[in-house]
Amino acid sequence: MLGSSLKHIFSMAASVAGLLKPWTPSVVLVRWSRYNPYYLEPEVRREAYSRPEAELSAEEQEERKLKELRPIKAATCSTTSSVFDDPLISKFVRMIMTDGNKVLAREIITQTLENIKRKQVEKYHKTPAGKKEEIECNPYTIFHTALENCKPVVGLASIQKGGKSYQVPIPLTDNRRRFLAMKWMITECRENKHRRTHMYEKLSQELLAAFEKEGNVIKKRQELHKMAEANRAYAHYRWW
Amino acid sequence: MALHRLSLRLRPTVAHVRSIHTSRYGRQQEAAAVDSESEPISVFRTQENDPASQSEKQIGQFYTLPAEHIRLLFPHGLPNRYQQQVKTFNEACMMVRQPALEAISYLKKADYSKPALRYLFYGVKGSGKTMSLCHSVHFCYTQGWVVLHIPDAHLWVKNCKELMPSSYKSSRFDQPLQATSWLRNFKITNEPFLSKIKIKQRYVWTKRESTEEGRPLGELVDQGTSRVKSSSDVVAAVMKELRLQCGHPESNFRLAVAVDGVNALWGKSTIKKEDKSAVDPEELTLVYNLRKLLKNDWIGGAIITTLSQTGSLYTPKSAYLPQELLGERGFDSMDPFIPLSVPNYSEKEFESCYLYYTERNWLQHPQSRTEEGKKELIFLSNRNPTMFDRLCGFL
Repeated sequence: MLGSSLKHIFSMAASVAGLLKPWTPSVVLVRWSRYNPYYLEPEVRREAYSRPEAELSAEEQEERKLKELRPIKAATCSTTSSVFDDPLISKFVRMIMTDGNKVLAREIITQTLENIKRKQVEKYHKTPAGKKEEIECNPYTIFHTALENCKPVVGLASIQKGGKSYQVPIPLTDNRRRFLAMKWMITECRENKHRRTHMYEKLSQELLAAFEKEGNVIKKRQELHKMAEANRAYAHYRWW
Repeated sequence: MALHRLSLRLRPTVAHVRSIHTSRYGRQQEAAAVDSESEPISVFRTQENDPASQSEKQIGQFYTLPAEHIRLLFPHGLPNRYQQQVKTFNEACMMVRQPALEAISYLKKADYSKPALRYLFYGVKGSGKTMSLCHSVHFCYTQGWVVLHIPDAHLWVKNCKELMPSSYKSSRFDQPLQATSWLRNFKITNEPFLSKIKIKQRYVWTKRESTEEGRPLGELVDQGTSRVKSSSDVVAAVMKELRLQCGHPESNFRLAVAVDGVNALWGKSTIKKEDKSAVDPEELTLVYNLRKLLKNDWIGGAIITTLSQTGSLYTPKSAYLPQELLGERGFDSMDPFIPLSVPNYSEKEFESCYLYYTERNWLQHPQSRTEEGKKELIFLSNRNPTMFDRLCGFL
């Protein structure tokens, strides 16, 4: 949010100054994400570099020429050009991380995925041949579908009108919905489960339940929807 | 594509081609080729489930261990991740690899009227030493030997909850918990032999309890499991009896001593006495008697061992050679032994493992089925069996 407001100020400054020269501050910020908007995003995927000149359209060729001259932002440590890279999993790892211990967070997530896969593959090998196709064994599809099932459609905002504050249903952006789904999942696993189970065990149980559209996180989402439905009358209090 | 190449390589073993100009032979060969193509050849599996009949042709292929054998022979011997894998896939498949085959061929050809040979599997971390040991032990079991399997010698020199001074020798220490659990597993594995073998000496446990000469070994083991206080001495007695009896021409059994993590017996231990001084492994009854068993002064059996850095105490992580892990004392005691190096997977073995995981629906990530993904897996794991297994776990 700070970055976007800065961009706002910079674009104002650009229009005022007329010329935005590329500059690096005298004290270089290594780990922050506050870059001069002149810097371009890095291209991590391997396929983008293996395409020959002829295949690219006119805009892509212009973009390439631009990248030759402009400075590029440094890629974060966790971005990889590996074929197994999943941005949603990376986001989830960052949300679970505490005190900067990304190694532990990543371990938990990989153990969760393995646990989900183990349970499903065991079920798969025990079912008779006719029903084998119904069982989903891919932990990544289960993870994505479970999060999709947890995402709320509308949210509530507290708006003050005439001295009283009302819970008003509002539309949510995609990022906000994804954030809420992940946050609910993590808090549910941290607080409402038995103390002596491992985090990966709790997460795998909750994700499998969410995949089947059961479980506490789905219940929380349904309650939010019910509240929004109940407060439909105040929807016109929203002015944006 | 790799499957196609492998099947081409293996086709000569399926239908051996010799240019004999007889029309009858030609037709037979065609018929054989048609038969083998009509049923799906799984190149990574073999039907030779008996370790005695396996040869170099089956290197890289998986053979199935019967569930009964797993339950009886390995109540405590298999690595944890492998046990989880057996539970998940609903079958126990082990890869036939060159070090284990070499050990089995020596076991078949050895002269059992000479002192017992010592085999030592060594290799980098995660290269498959414990699995090779289990393969050799499976061979011994199918041949009807008595199996004395210590799953991890490191567990006897660390994290000891109860340490008692020994009743037999005052300078030594007993470990009742470890001894009882080992005796229970020994009983499960060697059930048929417990009634056949008779002990040759009288053992006195307390003023009122003793085991007479001529009683079956089963009674001795039951004494150890029921009376926890004397269980370490019972273990020592069992080892002594088996060692003395298996060489005699009248006893018709052979003894296989399998120890995983043998470098623990000559290393340091983290157990402390009451005055906070460290206990030397020699002062523990279990370790002392196991060392006596590992000496090659008895006949009629074999000693198969493995080195292990993973559970070892005060050894650097990069050490894997026998000289480094056993130390001077250990190497001198184990010398002479047959060293068997266990390397990482070869290309063929890696292919076979990859195909096995794909067939068992374990590699689920869509990218892992592509060539790019496979190259990345080879790079990340360096063809190390454990690393490959851990990578495929979450992919």
